[in-house]
Amino acid sequence: MFTDEALDSVSVRSLWRKSQQSEQESRDCQTRAVHSAEAGIQTVFTTLSCTQTEPQDQATEQLLQQNHNEPEPLGLKDFLQRVEEAVIRELVRNARSHAFDGFQVNWGDRSQLVSCLHCLQHPITQERGLHVTSVSWSCTGSVIACAYGRIDDGNWSTERSYVCMWNLDRRGLSPSQADLVIDVPTAVTALCYHPSQPALIAGGLYSGEVVVWDTSRTQDPVLALTGMSADSHREPVYQVAWVPLQKKGEFGVLSASSGGRVLVWTVDSDQGRFILNAAYALVQQQVSHSSSVSFKARGSSTVGVTSLALSPWDSDTFLVGSEGGLLLRCSFSSKVPAATPSDGQSVTLRAPAVFSFRPHSGPIHSIHCSPFHRNLFVSAGTDGLAHLHSLLQANPLLSLRVSDSYVFQVQWSPTRPLVFAAATGQGEVQIFDLGHRSLRPAATIEQRGAGQAASCLSFNCQNPHLLAVGNTDGTVGVWQLSADLTEQSPRESSQLEQIANQVAE
Amino acid sequence: MAEVEETLKRIEAHKGVIGTIVVNAEGIPIRTNLDNSTAVQYAGLLRHLTMLARSTVRDIDPQNDLIVLRIRTKKYEIMVTPENGFLLIVIQNPCE
Repeated sequence: MFTDEALDSVSVRSLWRKSQQSEQESRDCQTRAVHSAEAGIQTVFTTLSCTQTEPQDQATEQLLQQNHNEPEPLGLKDFLQRVEEAVIRELVRNARSHAFDGFQVNWGDRSQLVSCLHCLQHPITQERGLHVTSVSWSCTGSVIACAYGRIDDGNWSTERSYVCMWNLDRRGLSPSQADLVIDVPTAVTALCYHPSQPALIAGGLYSGEVVVWDTSRTQDPVLALTGMSADSHREPVYQVAWVPLQKKGEFGVLSASSGGRVLVWTVDSDQGRFILNAAYALVQQQVSHSSSVSFKARGSSTVGVTSLALSPWDSDTFLVGSEGGLLLRCSFSSKVPAATPSDGQSVTLRAPAVFSFRPHSGPIHSIHCSPFHRNLFVSAGTDGLAHLHSLLQANPLLSLRVSDSYVFQVQWSPTRPLVFAAATGQGEVQIFDLGHRSLRPAATIEQRGAGQAASCLSFNCQNPHLLAVGNTDGTVGVWQLSADLTEQSPRESSQLEQIANQVAE
Repeated sequence: MAEVEETLKRIEAHKGVIGTIVVNAEGIPIRTNLDNSTAVQYAGLLRHLTMLARSTVRDIDPQNDLIVLRIRTKKYEIMVTPENGFLLIVIQNPCE
């Protein structure tokens, strides 16, 4: 009754698939046959020549011809007659115009904050608890060298010390490991990089020796060493600087120690030693007293030099600050012989002091001449004040209270004429702006860790927004300054000129 | 020849003028009261800039031509007057 039914399957033709395919077409093409040909050649004769560029400055000296005796170039007179009126009209209009008063252009991102970029330290110096005594930037602005020692040590110490260098532009910068470490037999008290050769660095040691290291040498970085000779210092060298010598392009090393001697050496790199070029000794009686303060000179006591500054405007002048608070202006070309007995020196000692300013009430730790005004300089010492002096007057123009403790270093900013920074014994760096009416600092850099002092600082002249600060806990902080501390505003030079022309009361 | 010197002196005597440089067709400064290296630097740099400015003006309107190029900077103003191959560069500090 029930059977299985087998049905045929039903299929429905697809409509859409066929319609897609109906649009197809095919084409082909072929390029023409490629022609190729072969040929052979051979050189018959050869010549060789080479060229070399000459150093730039020779070429520029020949370019300018200022020969007034030669007949002037054709058309010069007519040209000047034609343009003179228009130019003078524009000049007059410009002098009266107020179009750009107060207009400030904003080229880049201005950073508003002062921030710490790196905190550099080296493990061995941390372990031994050494203080940073001096920092110096290289002339290219990318390497910072730090000298270690002790700033509070009064006794003769023979502990070994180091000079560490970090290259901040390297990608693999490691803040806790220095790129280059130089071993030094005693504590280093002063450091200065060569102004044009990025590998040379001069250092003054606690034992009175002066050393020049060449960091491009892999074997032994010491290029020259004074050693303990009759010419060298007997007391710690508190300042070294590179001074330009008579011959253009050559530099000698100037060293000043607390034994009252200021010596100028030339470096003899073949033999690895220094040759004494000029020697100056500062003696109490020969210091001219132009102020009303009277000194009771006890014998021929020497004036221990604790700080020295070269003037960038006048190559003959240098300023000296002493342990007793004396501030003197000295001259390299002085011919007056010094009143101390010479102990076998190869060059006669001269007394360089020309003028003495009003003395401070404590040792002067730092002096710096302004790079923007030929007569101004700032000095600071243990009395916690920073004094702004003019070279022409004995009394300071301005005295600012920096901190309640010692001030270890002051330096003018390389880009803003009115700004200087001071490193204090409380661990802060105060940055003052003389354009502000108030006597309070424009910015304060506070470093972490209480109880440590900021012992040295240095502005980077190539990258002016960087400031390096060395501390007594062995760390060096590299700080980035805000834009208003580094960018010059239009009236600063004239404001500085006004301050310099004040007469001190 | 004295007229050339007199003309330049008149321009230099104006209020605020720091320096003047006259540059010839080859880009060499022939009269200046600044030092050599500065004058050569200004001449070389401003020559290119003036040519570029002049071609810009003439590209926009071929009937037009450049009279004076003035560059106002934070510290001073530089005025360049090109004509017939010569360039007169005047640097003025507009006193405010």
